[in-house]
Amino acid sequence: MHKLKPRVHFALFLIFGFILFLAGNRVDELRVYQGASIAVFVIAISSLILLTGYSGQVSLGHGALMAIGAYSATLARNEFQIPIIVTFFIAVLAAAVGGALLGAAAARLSGPYLAGTTLALAIGLPSLANQFSILGGEQGLLFDVGFPPLGLGEDFTQYKWFFWIAALAALISTWLLSNILSSRYGRNWRAGRSNEVAAQICGINTGRSKILAFTISAGIAGLAGALLSMTIGTVSPSAFPLALSFALLTGAVLSGVSTLSGVMIGAVTLVAIPEIADVVAHRIGSSENITTNLPGFIVSALLIVTVLFVPNGPVEQHRAREARKAAKKRL
Amino acid sequence: MQLLNTILIGITAGSIYSLMAIAFVLVWRSTRVINFAQAGMALLSTYFGYEAVTRIGSFWIALPIAMLGGAIFSALVEVILMRVLVKHSSSGPIAAVAPIIATLGLLGLIRSVIAMIWGGQDLRILPPVSNNGFTVNGEVLVFSPLKLLILITTLILMALLTLLFQRTNLGLSFRASAYAPEIARLSGVRVDLIRTLGWALAGAAGAVAGVFQTVNGNGNFSPDSIEFSLLLVSGFIAAVIGGLDSLLGAVIGGMFLGLTISFILMYVSSGLFFIAPFVVLLLVLFIRPQGIIGVKVGRRA
Repeated sequence: MHKLKPRVHFALFLIFGFILFLAGNRVDELRVYQGASIAVFVIAISSLILLTGYSGQVSLGHGALMAIGAYSATLARNEFQIPIIVTFFIAVLAAAVGGALLGAAAARLSGPYLAGTTLALAIGLPSLANQFSILGGEQGLLFDVGFPPLGLGEDFTQYKWFFWIAALAALISTWLLSNILSSRYGRNWRAGRSNEVAAQICGINTGRSKILAFTISAGIAGLAGALLSMTIGTVSPSAFPLALSFALLTGAVLSGVSTLSGVMIGAVTLVAIPEIADVVAHRIGSSENITTNLPGFIVSALLIVTVLFVPNGPVEQHRAREARKAAKKRL
Repeated sequence: MQLLNTILIGITAGSIYSLMAIAFVLVWRSTRVINFAQAGMALLSTYFGYEAVTRIGSFWIALPIAMLGGAIFSALVEVILMRVLVKHSSSGPIAAVAPIIATLGLLGLIRSVIAMIWGGQDLRILPPVSNNGFTVNGEVLVFSPLKLLILITTLILMALLTLLFQRTNLGLSFRASAYAPEIARLSGVRVDLIRTLGWALAGAAGAVAGVFQTVNGNGNFSPDSIEFSLLLVSGFIAAVIGGLDSLLGAVIGGMFLGLTISFILMYVSSGLFFIAPFVVLLLVLFIRPQGIIGVKVGRRA
């Protein structure tokens, strides 16, 4: 696998950001909104890829961690009038603390135990919002990032502002993540995932390295949560259902859990599925029951099919095929 | 009186959790997979039961029908999904988590298919006997004829299961294929068939848990009903408390969880309904990670 130099890497991100900026000016409102959703999913899925693909831990509770980020950002904003950019950092910090606690429990667990524990969290945590009046109960709280700065022009819409913030956050977090993953920590995680005993022999504290993975992953998920509630405008328990955690997992599996570069595949698919389902339902002229449940059906079916037939994701599959071809040539 | 109420509620809920935990343990013992779709299967079986009740009108005929439907569906899942999964995703970075993800996908699939067929609205199964509490010394208990019935039925089913496992050749084959599949195969046990049967038994146990969870609540159920998410989590936690490998452990775990949650809800706060199981699970995993009945190998399945 060829490695890009960090400076080239950074330049690529800049170019990609510029393309996004140009594209954002040329499409209609709905697409801009979807662009913002894609950016949010990119962040959330990449946090799960770090955790599942690199450190080998499954989390079904990332929806709950996103909720922690979203609620803490909203509280910071509404109760203390903190500048909007700082609230995103608060979201990251709060979710990271939650992730560290969860990670401390998780480091002693593996596979199905961890999945079950995080599942219990995903089901249990959102209901806490109904326990404390400060969290606003079932209706939730308003989360308002404010109007776009006037300097950007008159026809600069609210959704475009969301898209800018989300896309910038996605670029920064992906860039940071790809650097972390190719650093010492990334290697430690992969070593621990492939063979825990061997990793320990090499002097890696696998327990601590797992907790670190959980903490970083949770922090990024918290950022995604805050951005998600920014695009919705509110934060409420119903914005973080179990289905969200499942969707993220599907996105991560589709992207190929062990390849960060595939993250766009998963994010675009997740955003596109409702639209595809809509078209399909129209085409076959089906009843309302089928129309409303088709997106969920497609997500689950995709998840199963991918895990059965391309378990390591399309990118990894392609890479493996190329490697096999190259090996044949050498013979 | 409040204490008695708390205990009786806890035991009834605990017996339902035990059934669900038994389903988890049966699947875990036969294929070393935690079947997160168990709640989806239980939900589907409840819909089977609903259809039977509305057509035939008798709860006691509908329950076996739901069990049979759950068993057949569960066996099909093992044959169609799990065998392919073992064949395809046994290597690579995702191998360890592939079964978890597949069963989760199945959970979502079952839920959306149910919603497509029956719609998203609440359906209702009427309990066969009254859910109004007994009256003792002029005071009305929360414990009702229905809860008594649930308790008795659960105990009978558990007794039957114990007989099956301890006293029959089939039970011996079950135990043999769980503990030493290779040797069992050598001595002529058809391990694949036994695995499928294990899933079928689990499907039946889950079906009873689903139907009872529904009638023990308000009788309403829908594809998104939170009762079934709770059943999934509670059954899993009960199985973990019991050590995942032992049927007796599953029952003890279920009862322990039912009682603990009942006491927390009664004496701490009734709003902790969803977070209490999570706290119990974390405590168990920290204090006794191998479960109440479990071998000391740590949880590294």
